[in-house]
Amino acid sequence: MHIPDGFLSPQTYLPAYALAAGGWAYATRELRRRVDETLLPRLAVLTALAFVLMTVMLPLPGGTSVHASGIGILAVVFGPWLTFAVVSLVLLLQALVLGAGGVTVLPVNALAMGLGGSVAACLGYRLLAPRWERAGLFAAGWLAAVVPAALVAVVLGLQPAIAHTSDGQPLFFPFGLSVTLPAVLIPHAILGLGEGLLTVLVVSFLRRR
Amino acid sequence: MLQAIEVSYRLPEGQEILRAIDFQLGRGEKVVLLGANGTGKSTLLKVLNGLLPPTTGTVSYDGRVVDRAALREAAFHQRFRREVVLLFQNPDTMLFNPSVFDEIAFGPRQLGLDDVDKRVHHWAGELGVVPLLERTPFGLSGGEKQRVCLAALLILEPKVLLLDEPTANMDPRSTGWLVDFLADINQTTLVTTHNLSLAGEFGDRCLVLGEDHRLIFDGPIQDFLGDQDRLAAANLVHRHRHRHGATEHSHFHTHDWD
Amino acid sequence: MKDRLLLLGYAIAVVAATSVHNPWWLAGGLLVVAALAGRQAPTIGWRALRAVLFFNLVISIGYAAGALFGQAVSLDYLILVNTRVYLLIFLTFSLASKIDILRALSFSRNLSYLVTLVLSQIIPFRRLFEDLRLAAESRRLRRLRLRERYLQSAAAAVHLFDRAEHDAREIALAMRSRGFFQPEATDNAPGD
Repeated sequence: MHIPDGFLSPQTYLPAYALAAGGWAYATRELRRRVDETLLPRLAVLTALAFVLMTVMLPLPGGTSVHASGIGILAVVFGPWLTFAVVSLVLLLQALVLGAGGVTVLPVNALAMGLGGSVAACLGYRLLAPRWERAGLFAAGWLAAVVPAALVAVVLGLQPAIAHTSDGQPLFFPFGLSVTLPAVLIPHAILGLGEGLLTVLVVSFLRRR
Repeated sequence: MLQAIEVSYRLPEGQEILRAIDFQLGRGEKVVLLGANGTGKSTLLKVLNGLLPPTTGTVSYDGRVVDRAALREAAFHQRFRREVVLLFQNPDTMLFNPSVFDEIAFGPRQLGLDDVDKRVHHWAGELGVVPLLERTPFGLSGGEKQRVCLAALLILEPKVLLLDEPTANMDPRSTGWLVDFLADINQTTLVTTHNLSLAGEFGDRCLVLGEDHRLIFDGPIQDFLGDQDRLAAANLVHRHRHRHGATEHSHFHTHDWD
Repeated sequence: MKDRLLLLGYAIAVVAATSVHNPWWLAGGLLVVAALAGRQAPTIGWRALRAVLFFNLVISIGYAAGALFGQAVSLDYLILVNTRVYLLIFLTFSLASKIDILRALSFSRNLSYLVTLVLSQIIPFRRLFEDLRLAAESRRLRRLRLRERYLQSAAAAVHLFDRAEHDAREIALAMRSRGFFQPEATDNAPGD
């Protein structure tokens, strides 16, 4: 979701930063408690990997392809907190090194993709996997694509209501929920199928050994 | 049959990797490509394989220019990919099928050939990987992966084999096997290496990439290997102090580092 | 210190640019930032334009199309939002070209170690990824079926994960060998 800066109001991104900061503090504590001394290198290597993995192409019918997010895979294999940390770092580097992605969108994307997406993926996986392993993996990949999209669509769609001039003109993102939800959700529900398929294949390959 | 005409390659960031490379591989020729690390050997093979488009210059195969337009043509694409194959330096990059059998069968299945089973067993036998057919390629050792990759390429019955540091992941026994194997096949081969002690085993003609990314030698390999100054200029030999009892001296030499 | 100040200045500028709703002020801000960028201003300006063009066109046209359906559409909004977005992206690109990210993050020891490691790992991963792509292309004789392409993508991802796991262990061992970790942490260190 490459929304440039300038479409989110400070009333949105400042609280989002506060919320994300809490999440980062908690994630750091959780990870330190659970992971051994490989934590720092593992986080680093996975972040570099995610940076590149986001360019792994998700094949579409007809020879074209789009970027995969890999969040479903990360969430199922490494859990939501590590995924949250990795996604946040990737976004930070994209913003500061490449100048891409935007700093006001960063906390929203980090919370939506890193936390919302990975928690949804883990829940979906845990719910289905005991009975249907593959369905669980598929759900993880699909949810990891759709839930963040839905969250971002809601945040965007609320902008006209949050920030507008006295005569009702928007100041930031112009469209309401009735536009953002279908415009974002429908393509992602379809792309999610590919993400789900990739999650099934990758995680079952990884586990076969 | 495979020819590079004034080929230069520059990274998108602007760094020059190959400069005005010009040579031709004849049918059945065994050629060694030498060069220190970072001189562009791998890049040259990828350019020759039509994977990276040269920034300037052309690659031609059997009189036909290999460029994007030519490779978009399904018939030429298939013929070129089948007849000119590349063994990547890291065999892992080439393996993506769930089993060794599927890996070797990948080519013939794409071509829709019949008796795939027979072909796979034949080439698995040639390369000594029959016992591995049911295994997943990821779990194999470096040398085994290399053999599986070679089987997957040779099953296409190619005419030109481009091999990028094929001994880099091999133990001495596999290396010896590969040298013999390549000597016995009649395809055109171009093998890269920075291991001078092996270079003479892979062919009798050698191409040398210098550190300025130009082709600095093309000729009989013994002429090059016997020329200390050229070897030193290509950064393929080094000198350091040796002590023999009380005397200390230094001379150019190489080590068998692979 | 300079880099941390840059980061702080950038943060303040971003909050300011999103709190001011007068396009004249924003345009003035843009002039100031362009002046600060100096000779790089045309390059940054052009890159910034390309970066926002597509998204902003879609949004602007979509918004303007609202007029067809009888919605109240204001030109002021279009000017405001496009100026703001352009100013912000210009700011970000200027920062990215000026800042030394490692120094800017030096307030946290672990964060700067982490980012150093990440930056050193991105290039090998990118190279490996490029090789995976080329190898797949080299072995492709015809247009592959969707199923085959998924298998290839998945195998590439698995290979990248394997490499990541291996590298993480190697780096941890190397860090331990250089005395990075406290002694008590070595008890639960990974074996290989």
